[in-house]
Amino acid sequence: MTGDSAKAQEAFQSTLRDAALRTANREALRDRLWFFSQARWRCLAASEEGLQPEHSTLDECEVRPHAAAQVRQLQPEELAVWISGAPDPQRSALAAYYLDEFSLSEMLALLALNPKELSKLICAGRRQFQAWLNATTPEYDEP
Amino acid sequence: MSIFRISSREKTLVRIAPITEKPRVDRHMRVALLRARRNAAFAEELKDQQEFDRAISELVKAVPVSQEIAEWFRNEKLIPQEKRSWKKAIRNPVILSIVTSLAVIAGIAVFILFERMHDFPGSDTARKLLTIASATRATQLESVQTEAGALGDLFFMKYRLEHYDVPAEFADLRTDGARVFDDDEGHRVAQISVPENRMQLFLFPADRDPKKAQVREFSGWKFVEQEGWSGAVQIRDGVCFMAALRGEQRDLAPYLAKAQE
Repeated sequence: MTGDSAKAQEAFQSTLRDAALRTANREALRDRLWFFSQARWRCLAASEEGLQPEHSTLDECEVRPHAAAQVRQLQPEELAVWISGAPDPQRSALAAYYLDEFSLSEMLALLALNPKELSKLICAGRRQFQAWLNATTPEYDEP
Repeated sequence: MSIFRISSREKTLVRIAPITEKPRVDRHMRVALLRARRNAAFAEELKDQQEFDRAISELVKAVPVSQEIAEWFRNEKLIPQEKRSWKKAIRNPVILSIVTSLAVIAGIAVFILFERMHDFPGSDTARKLLTIASATRATQLESVQTEAGALGDLFFMKYRLEHYDVPAEFADLRTDGARVFDDDEGHRVAQISVPENRMQLFLFPADRDPKKAQVREFSGWKFVEQEGWSGAVQIRDGVCFMAALRGEQRDLAPYLAKAQE
């Protein structure tokens, strides 16, 4: 979400502190996704500090049958940087979707999106990532 | 239209299909995935999408996390399980079908129980005779114009039917026809037609216990209903008497009240 582990850790710790404070004040956390929604907003706030990436239109390309093999050539950090560079809400949508921990209704609640909007963001993300993969792993030979 | 035709809404859902199999997948999503897998063109696209998503998800899981955060999540549940509310559960078609079928079964059971509560020895025969009463034409009966109470002698003298006597409550009614016939079990049944309220009176042998050959007794008036006809039944000396008319039980009440007076 931030592209910077220090910022991410700070967002995480401040969310934990807030949760602990609320628990100490006997304020029940009624929303079961409260922790994730708070962490998301803190990450977005943190990423808005400092240098901002230029807004540009990314190339898009349909997902290819060998895309999974291309992905396996990447390092996790490369993917993390790519996702953190995406504009929000696409960044949050990609992060929540590929974390593979939430159900669809949880994701929609967390991101305040409807299914059509989420689908559009994820599809665009896939195509942009495929285009980026084609550019970064051009030497991949199709079987 | 094929049941596997995929709508645009379902296409939208398929594009955000769960990356791995999960137990709490929404029903609309399950239907969309089923249709997508049955659609030749879409199935291939879905397969590529899911492989791509799985590869990315594995990479996401491999993103290094600080020791402190990893430790915290090791001891805490990532997402607390949502309790399934009864309102949501009741909307599930499977549960709805089970509840509906149980309600129908319970309704039938209550209806049968209610019917059985009103049953008495000879009630089955009484119901059959109500069906006969509804189908009897005047021409089927022998013309007899007298008081109903007087027909007991006729049945005894002509048909040797003992105790086929009309009770006092109905003895004064004028008759316009009568007959004696065998029912489907071979029992002798006397039928009397009364012009008042187009009433019909029946006399038939009471039910007997097959083991002891004793008459199954009951006391007072009992009621049966069948095909819009109502009957009031009484037993005396091993013979059942039934007064039947088209209508409800309350239509027979004035006749039965006479005896109480």
